[in-house]
Amino acid sequence: MAKSAATARGTNRGIGRWNVASRILAAIPANYLFTSLATACLARLLAHGLTVNPAEASVAATLLSFAIFATVALFAFGLRSIARLWLWLAVGSAIGGSLLWLSLDMGGRL
Amino acid sequence: MKEGLRQSMALLHTWTGLLLGWLLFAMFATGTSAYFQDEITRWMQPEVTGDADPVASAEGAVRFLQRTVPDAKSWYISPPNSRSATTQVYWQPADDKPTKRGETSAMLDQSGREISTRETSGGFFLYRFHFDLHYMPVLWARYLVGVAAMFMLVAIISGIITHKKIFADFFMLRFNKGQRSWLDAHNVTAVVALPFHLMITFTGLVTLATMYMPWGIAANYAERDTFFEAVFGKSEEVARSGKPAPLAAIGPIMQSASARWDGKKVGYLRIANPGDATATISATRAAEGAIGSRGEEMTFSGVTGQPVGGSMPKGAALATESVMIGLHAGRYAEYGLRWLYFLSGLGGTIMVGSGLVLWTVKRRTRLPDPSRPHFGFRLVEKLNIATIAGFPAGIAAYFLANRLLPLEMADRADHEINSLFLTWLAVLVYALARPSARAWPEMLGLAAALFAAVPLVNAFTTARGLPVSLLAGDWLFVSFDLVMLLLALGFAMGARKAARKRAEGPRTARRKPREAVTA
Repeated sequence: MAKSAATARGTNRGIGRWNVASRILAAIPANYLFTSLATACLARLLAHGLTVNPAEASVAATLLSFAIFATVALFAFGLRSIARLWLWLAVGSAIGGSLLWLSLDMGGRL
Repeated sequence: MKEGLRQSMALLHTWTGLLLGWLLFAMFATGTSAYFQDEITRWMQPEVTGDADPVASAEGAVRFLQRTVPDAKSWYISPPNSRSATTQVYWQPADDKPTKRGETSAMLDQSGREISTRETSGGFFLYRFHFDLHYMPVLWARYLVGVAAMFMLVAIISGIITHKKIFADFFMLRFNKGQRSWLDAHNVTAVVALPFHLMITFTGLVTLATMYMPWGIAANYAERDTFFEAVFGKSEEVARSGKPAPLAAIGPIMQSASARWDGKKVGYLRIANPGDATATISATRAAEGAIGSRGEEMTFSGVTGQPVGGSMPKGAALATESVMIGLHAGRYAEYGLRWLYFLSGLGGTIMVGSGLVLWTVKRRTRLPDPSRPHFGFRLVEKLNIATIAGFPAGIAAYFLANRLLPLEMADRADHEINSLFLTWLAVLVYALARPSARAWPEMLGLAAALFAAVPLVNAFTTARGLPVSLLAGDWLFVSFDLVMLLLALGFAMGARKAARKRAEGPRTARRKPREAVTA
């Protein structure tokens, strides 16, 4: 039934169940991980790289985080290639994660 | 590629809008009413009349607290703002033993006498519901509400990308054209107030930002409390010295704080160790004084009345956050802007509701057998009836319960709230039991009847009915009753339309194939 509806709508361009499931995984849990890492990195960068007051730095990064999350969620459905989507997310998270780890290792957490 | 993008965004818009759409409808509806929460509370406490001066009220509150709990650890006083008439006080008892709500708080008039009015949660309940929900732990509710808000943000942006002729369609509202009309209603309410919708959704997330995205703070602070102390200041408890000292007069302290803030009033007072030589008085700027929600604070010695400290000036990020939260709550808004907030919120509620209806309207003609739709379709349709007709009906029932429940009833405020949810539940059960085509007009009619009953019941149960308040120039009561009548009219028109539609039978597909894809 759902399939015939999709055909009638003309949106039948190979949107399979797995395709959608993988994009939902990318858009919500993977996106949250990526955004959290990006937010934490930005907070570190502002506070320690640019010597912004740490409270200000944390709040600035937190305010931006919702825009980052929403943008990535849109890309999770807008990008044509799923492989590229996951590659971006994985590379982004890996870079963010290692930068954060290095930065935290240097200390300076209040 | 471009068409492909639009299609995937349309898909995203459809499903992010639908999945939590019913919750978003309830959040939008109660959040919109919260712009008038003080007015709703005043309507729900018809025994309270007149205005009160904040300084005189605070002085009265201090007299009340000195009489009632002279040895408390702290007193907290919220003097009335320009829209309310009562003073809220609560206190932290000397022995710190857990107490029931109501045993450590009171509502006072300007002279510091306790006000006896019907027990009600008033507009405050509707305000709290829009992010705390009800009958569930507040923490879960706030996470759920946050997820819904993020879905909303994604739905708005994907909706903008999907929408081809955003400016051409701006003034397009075609009536009686079936699906096209629903689409127009959705588009007009969405596009006209688009900046509001984006603002309210983003800033709504910001109000609970540190809960949803704690990692920006965790990156710089090993202890969350260190961050909050840096932002809000340390509130260390000083033990009483045991040396009694009379409390400095509160009026001059409020005036001196106001003078420091360019005449903005004091909205909140905290008095630690009252009556002791170590007493301090902290004054916070009233929320209505400026857009920024996090008001300036000043601390005074509670004995000499001299200033001893104040809040640090905010940097760019904290100031931005404060203004974002202030924009969301709209506490700074004068009545003109407040009505605009209210109308935009109403537009948002209609946008969510019409979007939900559009989901079924678009799919109905494509059903293999429209007389026997599949489970998912039926579920959406039933939930739509229960939410779009049932939730507003529940709000009307909340107002009616305020007038009809016995005044001396135990836990009266809770029963008012239960009336809202029982009505909502009843509409859901009814919608499940009835064919949808019948349930729509009947339940929209019910909502219309309940809203229309509010001013009537008010006129019969209080001395402040519409004719009286019109003659007395009591504009708050006049406006409340008129808004109820307008809502009744709106729902009655919806019911009539739905009834006529049923008589005509389901509309046959008359759309161009292209429209079916893009919308």
